[in-house]
Amino acid sequence: MNRIENHPILQSRKDRRQIRFYFDGDEIAGFEGEPVASALIASGHHVFSHHHKDGAPQGLFCANGQCSQCTMLIDGIPKKSCMTPLSEGMDVRTLYGLPHLPAEDEPLVQAERRSVRTDIFIIGAGPAGLAAATELGRMGYQVLVADDKAQAGGKLVLQTHKFFGSEADCYAGTRGIDIAHILEDEAKRHPSVTILTNAPVVGIYKDRKAGIYLNYESYLLVEFTALVVAAGAREKALHFPGWDLPGVIGAGAFQTLVNRDLVKAYRKILIIGSGNVGLIAAYHALQAGITVAGIIEVAGRVNGYQVHADKIRRMGVPISLNSTILKAEGRDKVERAIVAAVDEKGQPVAGTARAYEVDAVLIAAGLSPCNEFLEQARRYGIMAVAAGDAAEIAEASSAMYGGKTAAMDLASMLGKKIIVNPEWETTRKVLASRPGDSYERSPVVPGSEWRPVFFCSEEIPCNPCATVCPVGAIQLRPMHGNIMDLPYFEGNRCTGCGSCVAVCPGLAITLVRRIPGEKALADKASGDKASGDRAQVVLPWEFNADFDIGTELDLVDQKGDFVERAPVVSKRRVSSRNTWLLTFHVDIAHASKIAGIRVQPQEASAFQSAEIPADGAADTVLCRCERVTLGEIVEFIRNNKVRDINQLKSLRVGMGACGGKTCSQLVGKAFRLAGTDPAEVEPATQRPLFMEMPMGAAVNEGLHKLGGKEAGARGAP
Amino acid sequence: MKHFDVVIVGAGSVGVPLAWQLAARGLKVAVIDQEASWGRGQNRAAIGGVRATHSDPAKIRICLESIEIFSSLKSKYGLDVEWQPGGYLYVAYDEATEMQFRSLLKKQKTAGLEIDWISPEKIARLAPGIRTEGLLGGTFSPYDGYASPLMAATAFHKLALDAGVLFFFNRRVESIRKADNTIISLTAGQEEFSAEFFVNAAGAEAADIAKIAGFDIPVFPDCHEAGVTEPVERFMQPMIVDIRSDAESGNYYFYQARTGQVVFCITPRPQIWGRDKDSTSTFLPICVRRMIELYPRLRNLRVRRTWRGMYPMTPDGLPIIGYPDMAINFLQAVGMCGQGFMMGPGLGHILAQTIMAGGSHANPAGATEYNFIFDEFSINRSFDHAELLK
Repeated sequence: MNRIENHPILQSRKDRRQIRFYFDGDEIAGFEGEPVASALIASGHHVFSHHHKDGAPQGLFCANGQCSQCTMLIDGIPKKSCMTPLSEGMDVRTLYGLPHLPAEDEPLVQAERRSVRTDIFIIGAGPAGLAAATELGRMGYQVLVADDKAQAGGKLVLQTHKFFGSEADCYAGTRGIDIAHILEDEAKRHPSVTILTNAPVVGIYKDRKAGIYLNYESYLLVEFTALVVAAGAREKALHFPGWDLPGVIGAGAFQTLVNRDLVKAYRKILIIGSGNVGLIAAYHALQAGITVAGIIEVAGRVNGYQVHADKIRRMGVPISLNSTILKAEGRDKVERAIVAAVDEKGQPVAGTARAYEVDAVLIAAGLSPCNEFLEQARRYGIMAVAAGDAAEIAEASSAMYGGKTAAMDLASMLGKKIIVNPEWETTRKVLASRPGDSYERSPVVPGSEWRPVFFCSEEIPCNPCATVCPVGAIQLRPMHGNIMDLPYFEGNRCTGCGSCVAVCPGLAITLVRRIPGEKALADKASGDKASGDRAQVVLPWEFNADFDIGTELDLVDQKGDFVERAPVVSKRRVSSRNTWLLTFHVDIAHASKIAGIRVQPQEASAFQSAEIPADGAADTVLCRCERVTLGEIVEFIRNNKVRDINQLKSLRVGMGACGGKTCSQLVGKAFRLAGTDPAEVEPATQRPLFMEMPMGAAVNEGLHKLGGKEAGARGAP
Repeated sequence: MKHFDVVIVGAGSVGVPLAWQLAARGLKVAVIDQEASWGRGQNRAAIGGVRATHSDPAKIRICLESIEIFSSLKSKYGLDVEWQPGGYLYVAYDEATEMQFRSLLKKQKTAGLEIDWISPEKIARLAPGIRTEGLLGGTFSPYDGYASPLMAATAFHKLALDAGVLFFFNRRVESIRKADNTIISLTAGQEEFSAEFFVNAAGAEAADIAKIAGFDIPVFPDCHEAGVTEPVERFMQPMIVDIRSDAESGNYYFYQARTGQVVFCITPRPQIWGRDKDSTSTFLPICVRRMIELYPRLRNLRVRRTWRGMYPMTPDGLPIIGYPDMAINFLQAVGMCGQGFMMGPGLGHILAQTIMAGGSHANPAGATEYNFIFDEFSINRSFDHAELLK
């Protein structure tokens, strides 16, 4: 089975019980309670259905309960396999075409309506929602938080890396998975706060109620006074030939498989997009033991933090700028991806095409806010605020502040006299900042005392190094007067404790010093600077360190170029940061150039040159749910003089299971190709339900079947 | 000023097919609508049922024409609107309902409708899994059916475009200029449109348009919610109508589209008057409970989306068709009472013939045989007979 047994950061999940279930009649193993999709992928099964229109294979795509591409027959009923927990003996089958409605004809025995009331209803228990709940709970409001996942924390639960930001404001230097627990505990400390998990919101209604498909089996209406939408974001898609093959998935979806479910989903991946999500996905892949062939970026510069990009390059993952994916190929799943350089017009450059043998392509093309709830609430005149990614796409650290300020805004809308700390909004904005200027740092000459070397030259909102230094020897040099400023070593009091090295989220600090005595010996021998002069360098390591002292590793410079191969002379684990500090003895001329350790060999990013494939965009499906091609949409727009996205529903575009969540940000392309400015096009109208729900659930028939008592204990407030 | 032979207000279920029929007969036609595109008023809210099963002979006649048009769009014009002649099934679980249905059969047959009483066994074959306990039987009209309102609107719009109709979207009618009781022009989106004939096909907005022209028509919208499920392999043929009422709802009806989705709608009790298109939390639990009671296996079918639209009602549940005394060249084709989708194509066909045959205020049907339609649906009628299968 493709499981991650020995993750450097995540605890192996010994608590999970292994069970047997059936896939297309064959008995296979999985863990109780994990999503069916994850169990199947862990067993090497990637094709979950064949579309009723053309038989095309479909598999996991969003791993987030949004796109429905992973629908399968589970115990005879079509269900999203990414949201269905696995149970002993479950009968899971590939869905061929449309499902048959099971002939369950016994009469309806009991229909029931359930509702609760709360002051504030919060959609989403991620960083923004939890922070808002804490503030509102503190003020004494009755708060109900609903989250569609099994665990609170939102996407924090997928983040094995240490966070940027400031330690005082947002737990910078702490890993996202740990921040999730801290935030949840803080919210739960207030007795008026209730958090419901496995509680997707399927509708916001005019009569100031929200419908929750509770535990994916019953229907709870929540009557509320005001609403906080902290539903996060969904991943943007990219339309290219082959994007509909199983194995092309969102970078966030990949993180879910790897970091939440500990599935070693693929052997080798290619990542499209160099924003922070794409960069972090590469890091997560390497930690999971998955090879990363490269990161492909269409722009001329890295889109995420420079310090992240450098870290990934040092680990041995090349980032190809001015490049694009032309095609993903494979029989029933991805086997190969073809990439080429692009010119200023975005067209592939002849002679530059190359093919990567990969089994997955990760799309990291950015995020778009889950704003359907807010739109609906505003339309209905319901008091509502948005926070976190649902309001503005930014870092989780900023989302926490967004949650706090949204809570304050809401309280004052509700008539509460409150004094809002103006620094919160300032902090939120700083934390949401795009990178600022870059500065060149002066070269460091190792001396006889320890000192840090910074490989952090671009302004980003981050300061943990400056706050952890026990002797105050790291200071932000004031340009902005906030945490965007870059850190510098001030004075000569460094004790070599390594706190800064261990805390830095960018793995961008090392410690260096001349090996004590070596200079003196050298001086004595030659009276001159000796070529054999040696230095010690301390580097952070976030992978398994189960190698012996003396093992030689490739050391690289800031951008990942090879500098020296040197043996590990000591290793020390900073358990509070879950990070290893490795010490090497290196040539003193290299010491302050060495920024990191290569993780994967150069062959990992090998490729063959290839032909530029014929432009297949028009024949490529744009609406995945209904399998409508870009060409069909363009032709329809031209023939019918369409100026209203809603008219694409005649082609069933936007009418599928995802409700337009995937295609709505792609159809602009079709209008442009048809010669229509997308700005002139009437946008699509949103309607509940935002997620499909069985009729039986709408009348709470399941509660009766389950026995009301048991169901009541499973999460209803 | 733009001049046309006919200017139609409303690019919906009624206006677009009529525009097509008129332009196909050589007239220069403009269609004006306040929405961004065709069918964006109540057409898109229609669930798609097309039946000639009515109690009123004029409606039966119009809908038989509609069925003829829906069923030939593909063969004649290559336009697929997912038409499926699945039939309409009115189920009876009590004797009063049975009596009511049976008493209508003769009248319906006389009006040319193919319809019969069928047994519970036959019903179970048409709709396997339907509750047979207490089922007395029902009426079944095999040539009725259903189509996609979105695709149908697009098809009629395309036919109209190809026939030369000009559409003016995002335009609200601002004023109407009359000389005596004849309309000279109307202004919409700051542009004046003159014509020989004007048509009010404004659906739920019909009374507002009439008001601008200086007269009142009794069209009052009420709100209904509807929903659609995921698609599954087809398991039922007919549109099923249950006309019983209970404490919180009136009749409800649902069918399985050719593409597998079940589409459903219910009449709330009490009726909700007005133009509110916002979704309520009450619709789904009420409608779904009644559907599962009638058809238990629907319990596992996932609801995909719900929406709300208006039925432009008249006091007696019958449309208003004709030329008002206060605006003698302003044909009213309004008050479809939630049946604009099924009546529109047939009505467009009939009205276009009357206009071409010299129809006017003095003699609305012109040289055609359609006097009975104008008599039945006259704007000057007393509105005191209720239609039985509203």
